[in-house]
Amino acid sequence: MTDALSYFAMGWLDPWLLMLTAAGTFAGIYIGAIPGLSVTMAVSVLISFTFTWPVNDALALMAGIYMGGVYGGSRTAILLNIPGAPSAIATALDGYPLAKRGEAGIAIGISTVVSVIGGFVGILALAVAAPAISDFALMFAPRDYLLLAIMGILLVGSLSGESLAKGVFSGALGVLIGMVGLDPMTAEQRFTFGSVNLLGGIPYVAAMIGFFGVSEALVQLHTLHMPAIKQQVSRIVPSWKLVKRFLPLSLRSSALGVIIGALPGTGGDIAALMAYDQARRTVKNPTRPFGEGAYEGLVAPESANNAAVGGAYIPMLTLGIPGDAVTAVIIGALFIHGLKPGPMLMIETPHLFWYTVGNLTLANIFLLIFGLTGIRFFTRIVECPKGILLPLILVLSAVGTYAIQNNPVDIYWMLGFGLFGYFLKMYGFEVGPVILGIILGPLMDVSYRRAVISVEDSFPAFLWDLVSNPLTAALTLALAALLLAQTPVASLWKRRR
Amino acid sequence: MKVRYLLGAVAALALTTAAARAEYPERELQGVIMWGAGGATDTVARAVTPHVEEALGKKIVLVNKAGGAGAISTAFVNAAPADGYTLLYGAENPQVHGVLALSELDYSAFYPVNVLARGIAVIVAGKDAPWNSVKELVEDAQKRPGKIKMGSTGPGGLPHVVGALLNSVEAYKVTAVPFDGEGPGLTALQGGHVDFMPVGLSAAGEHIKAGRVKVLGVVNDKEVPSLPGVAPITKDFPGFSKYLPWGPFYGIWVKKDVPDAAKKTLVDAFRKGAENPQFTQLMVERGNVMMNISGAEADAFLKKWQAVTTWVLHDAGATKQSPEKFGIARP
Repeated sequence: MTDALSYFAMGWLDPWLLMLTAAGTFAGIYIGAIPGLSVTMAVSVLISFTFTWPVNDALALMAGIYMGGVYGGSRTAILLNIPGAPSAIATALDGYPLAKRGEAGIAIGISTVVSVIGGFVGILALAVAAPAISDFALMFAPRDYLLLAIMGILLVGSLSGESLAKGVFSGALGVLIGMVGLDPMTAEQRFTFGSVNLLGGIPYVAAMIGFFGVSEALVQLHTLHMPAIKQQVSRIVPSWKLVKRFLPLSLRSSALGVIIGALPGTGGDIAALMAYDQARRTVKNPTRPFGEGAYEGLVAPESANNAAVGGAYIPMLTLGIPGDAVTAVIIGALFIHGLKPGPMLMIETPHLFWYTVGNLTLANIFLLIFGLTGIRFFTRIVECPKGILLPLILVLSAVGTYAIQNNPVDIYWMLGFGLFGYFLKMYGFEVGPVILGIILGPLMDVSYRRAVISVEDSFPAFLWDLVSNPLTAALTLALAALLLAQTPVASLWKRRR
Repeated sequence: MKVRYLLGAVAALALTTAAARAEYPERELQGVIMWGAGGATDTVARAVTPHVEEALGKKIVLVNKAGGAGAISTAFVNAAPADGYTLLYGAENPQVHGVLALSELDYSAFYPVNVLARGIAVIVAGKDAPWNSVKELVEDAQKRPGKIKMGSTGPGGLPHVVGALLNSVEAYKVTAVPFDGEGPGLTALQGGHVDFMPVGLSAAGEHIKAGRVKVLGVVNDKEVPSLPGVAPITKDFPGFSKYLPWGPFYGIWVKKDVPDAAKKTLVDAFRKGAENPQFTQLMVERGNVMMNISGAEADAFLKKWQAVTTWVLHDAGATKQSPEKFGIARP
């Protein structure tokens, strides 16, 4: 126990390590805020950069960047409707409407506080229940991922806006975009038309930037002459009363985030979307209707995606299995530094576990400090006249898209999707479901096929699997309940009681 | 005014010609990694590059361009100028792209700067599996065809090829469930969602050591030092030896028509970088066999690998086009 404590405090007591964690968190917030610059990319670049450093220094920096980066994506999502990272997509749904109401300051304040709460829940789960959670995560079979993905895609229903049919169309369009490229199971080419450039699929961050950022900028051209909305900056840090009100939702979303983060096939983006969906279904009286600037719509995804950070570290530190893309890169970094990430890591290098827990805790504290400073300056950005702001958004979108993989073709995709998204919006199609389809379509595709292949292509055996295993049966039940709750039968039943 | 522009242009021209004569490399290089961040190829690339930079005296900026099982990076480097400033960090995959009809481009269009190392494959099963050797597994699979689930990574991937190689020695039938990579496959194995999986030792080593998976055999003609007491596959299946050594490999390529002087500089730098004890230790600990070969020697290795693999895949009915079409002779 004293050993654990001394390892935990390693990163706190050494001023150099303390400085590195702080610098990492700070840099992470801004890397996360710039669309296209991802935490995965930043950590990969750091590997070459920190090659000659002691491994502890490198790990402190990476933990900071990871924590800060996941949070940072919310900044541009709220202010400009451009999610800085895929995990901030759900944040834009209610965050941007808040900025339009002049409440960007409090929106950032709330997301900072709940991000930190989510972060602590994730760290706590990592510290006390890591082995149990990673064993639980291993139990998820392909059919369970399928059920999770279906639950996620049901969110189309609440993102459809004026017409469900239009929402379903958008969702299906997203699934189609996600299908382009090599079939992950058979390496068959799908919708590539023989082009090598399409073999890798359509980069979905480019689609995200186009559909959210550029299309919104184009829509804003209609109201170019209108003065920018004055942002209220008197109250930024949410009051204790407000935090207390959202605490139950935040904790619930965080628990969801930890589990989804710990699952090796899913990360913060899916965690945030599912948490948002969960909030929409369970919160009876939101501050405002969802999609129009409900605080709850910020609290749920922002708690979940930061909780997913601790969650993703769980299988990585206990089993050497990455929980998401960033932890996969950190595993590579550990190898290069001569450590052996795997199930033996905690036995051979026990300090590493508590050292990481300590670093993440520290990064989370810095997150609170850096997150709550500079908000006033940031909100000024949206007060710029549109004639200045809109070109800036376009430039930022182009630079961010190019940064994904230094490929100019991605910029054309992004602009194309931006234009397309503009017309979609003009005709009352929401773009949210498109992104949902791009993220969840491929997951549904491979999970369903894996599940069916596993039972020798027998559909009855597949159906039997859905109810015969306790975990799967629980998920099937949850899904059935979700579906039934939306039907007339449910309301009839409620009325009768 | 015009004169000044003209003077400027002349000066610029003079500078560029002077630069052209300057020693290679005079600026930073770009290294294109054909697999995503955190994967085996990425780890190897990022581990060797700092040592090479030291020998080269210039930075190599690494970018991951994953997609199309490496076809996208390969096409990208092939389209770049042949000046020696764009390097391809790759694995074995392009050698089977032709027969799988993914891309016409394979390593014959490139010059091997260095084939750093090759990996060794092992066959692992869940820790509670009833089998203790590959032979027992194969016999069980023959008794219950299709009932045993094999973790795979898709066509042309290591599990698929090892499965096909074994099948050509002794016919059996299992159900292959493809995952996104060796790591996700091993995860499914530990969750009990598949029963066994042929996989690179580098990916499975730590899981074997911790006893979370059971190793049934090594795809090699002798025992490997990191797995004492584990039988080589040739013990029960002597017919397998004609395919060995077989395994994934990692290396660095440039376009064929890069100037010879640049090739030589690169070959020397990478040879030196790959000799670095820190890198060698990392590779061996991950269960790889160091090769550090280049030029004609590497070409011969690549040709043999391609011949063995493509023909076995072809005989297993897993190809779309005959290796003959690409002038690959039957081994």
